[in-house]
Amino acid sequence: MLETLALMGQGFVHALSPLNLLVMAAGTAIGIVIGCLPGLSAAMGVALLLPLTFSMEASTGLIMLGAIYCGAIFGGSISAILIHTPGTPASAATAIEGYQLTLQGKAGKALGTACIASFFGGLLSCISLYFFAPLLAQLAMKFGSPEYFWLSIFGLTIIAGVSSKSMLKGLISGALGLLLSTIGMDPIEGVKRFMFGQSSLYDGINVTCALIGLFSMSQALTLAEARIRARARATKFKDKMLLSREEMKMLAPTIGRSWIIGNLIGILPGAGASIACFLGYNTSRQFSRHKELFGHGSIEGVAGSEAANNAVTGGSLIPMLTLGIPGESVTAVLMGGLIIQGLTPGPDLFTGETAAMTYTFFAGFVLIQFFMLGIGLLGCRGFAQISRLSDAILIPAVTVLCVVGSYAIHKNFMDVIIMMIFGVLGWLCRKFDLNTAAIVLALILGPIGEKGLRRSLALSGGDPAILFSTPLCWLLVALCVFGVLSPVLMARMERKAGGVDPDDA
Amino acid sequence: MKKTDIGVVVFIYAVGVLFLVMTFQLPAAAQTYPLFIDLLLLALTTAYLVRMVIGARRKGVTSGLEDFQDFLPGQFFPILGMVILYLAAMYVVGFYPATVLFMVGCLLFLRVPKWQILLSTAAVAALVYFAFTMFLRVRMPAGLLFR
Repeated sequence: MLETLALMGQGFVHALSPLNLLVMAAGTAIGIVIGCLPGLSAAMGVALLLPLTFSMEASTGLIMLGAIYCGAIFGGSISAILIHTPGTPASAATAIEGYQLTLQGKAGKALGTACIASFFGGLLSCISLYFFAPLLAQLAMKFGSPEYFWLSIFGLTIIAGVSSKSMLKGLISGALGLLLSTIGMDPIEGVKRFMFGQSSLYDGINVTCALIGLFSMSQALTLAEARIRARARATKFKDKMLLSREEMKMLAPTIGRSWIIGNLIGILPGAGASIACFLGYNTSRQFSRHKELFGHGSIEGVAGSEAANNAVTGGSLIPMLTLGIPGESVTAVLMGGLIIQGLTPGPDLFTGETAAMTYTFFAGFVLIQFFMLGIGLLGCRGFAQISRLSDAILIPAVTVLCVVGSYAIHKNFMDVIIMMIFGVLGWLCRKFDLNTAAIVLALILGPIGEKGLRRSLALSGGDPAILFSTPLCWLLVALCVFGVLSPVLMARMERKAGGVDPDDA
Repeated sequence: MKKTDIGVVVFIYAVGVLFLVMTFQLPAAAQTYPLFIDLLLLALTTAYLVRMVIGARRKGVTSGLEDFQDFLPGQFFPILGMVILYLAAMYVVGFYPATVLFMVGCLLFLRVPKWQILLSTAAVAALVYFAFTMFLRVRMPAGLLFR
């Protein structure tokens, strides 16, 4: 306990270094810009800027990615409120009440509410990150090869959960990703597999290139296929953004409820901020004393949605950091960031020297919320104008950044080609309802599962009973069953919330 | 059932069969795991095919082209072509000249006002230069011509 407290304190000391503070400010501002541009998602932004963190210390790189993540989730609300176009799917519910407030000349109030609710939602989500992550990591330390095999199977069952329309198509996407993950050297036999004569595929497909291609390049291609539309001019506003004490008092219970909702949704694999915002919004309407304002501009509605989607951020990091299971697109990309730094997501992040890095990231995540509040409140007027940037400019600009990002990893042109192949694959997946997040999860989890299975069988002399030899194995088997059933649960929640596709918040 | 899904099934089968053929060329000990995954992919695709057939009998067949309502081939394919040319040009003339050509070509094609073309091309080139060349010290491809 004392050791944990010391690590927490140390984390804050490290996180408060000038470089980390600079990175937090830059990451949050970049995230807000990405978030407020309709058509660009948080996952896409994090994937695109992943290469910038290569040369940074692991904790600094992760803080930067975390800042982009939090900034993008909040940034989506700016265009949702001012031009009635959610910057990311996570702000879809915010647009309902936020734009009504804008029409009434209360855009400043709506943006202030979104900013303050996002701050509290994100800040409170750090509590669960601090307290649940180490507990889960302690449990994960007892894992051996059979448990790791089941853990990866559990992660793969989430594939069904993150599938947007058809569970079968989600599973097909996952199996395709697993097949692609077998490219490269066989981990046990040392045989070259499916390398097409390319020595650069020796270590398998570079996950970062695949991420940039599937999330960012495919987004540029998606923007390129449709007519370039002129965006509505963002409303200039003059009203005050800060909330009065009475308004804060009124919003406190709404923010509290949305925090719990968002956090649970974040921890649940397969769900995401796009579901949380609708659940938060609906719950705020159910408990509101001013139900008549909903649909006509209610700050409670804005707060309910924004606190919930930002509360997802801390929660969603828990399964990724402790078990190495990314539950949705953004955490899959963040996991890519950890892997690039040579770190293995899982319980090892909470032991030895790595623990200091993890707690620095946690502390950074807390501080990011303050930066989000400050930059959000001070810069909303400027960000509002950026939200008008045309897709015509975004298409070539994003393409260039994808090319540069994938090239910078190993300074290898082959990586650019791989990124491009995954970009086209990602675009085709979007067109034909296959699931890009499932492919990425399978690419990440495939090697973990393969090693776990083959090492277990090697230890037992080929006896598969080893896979059911401990209570933890059975617990994970039960979780796998839950993973398979979770889509039904998610579909019900989504229907109830009137939500949207969960896979690309 | 959507007609476009037939293409998806054919594509996945093609990938599955390609990997199946390559798997049988591996030594026996290295075949088991990829073979299992490949057969899993083919089994899931077959299950989807069966569901498509059942769906077609029950609800009929739609073209699936409704998903392509907003698709502008006259815009998409030239841009995709420009991206491919950009990669080729980067290999030959180097990163910065290719990027300027690509940005200007693409923005002109998308009818962006000239001052915005100038500004955005300069901004992207400057961003890449400062973030990658200066900060990360990544040497961008110089191109075959300038090596």
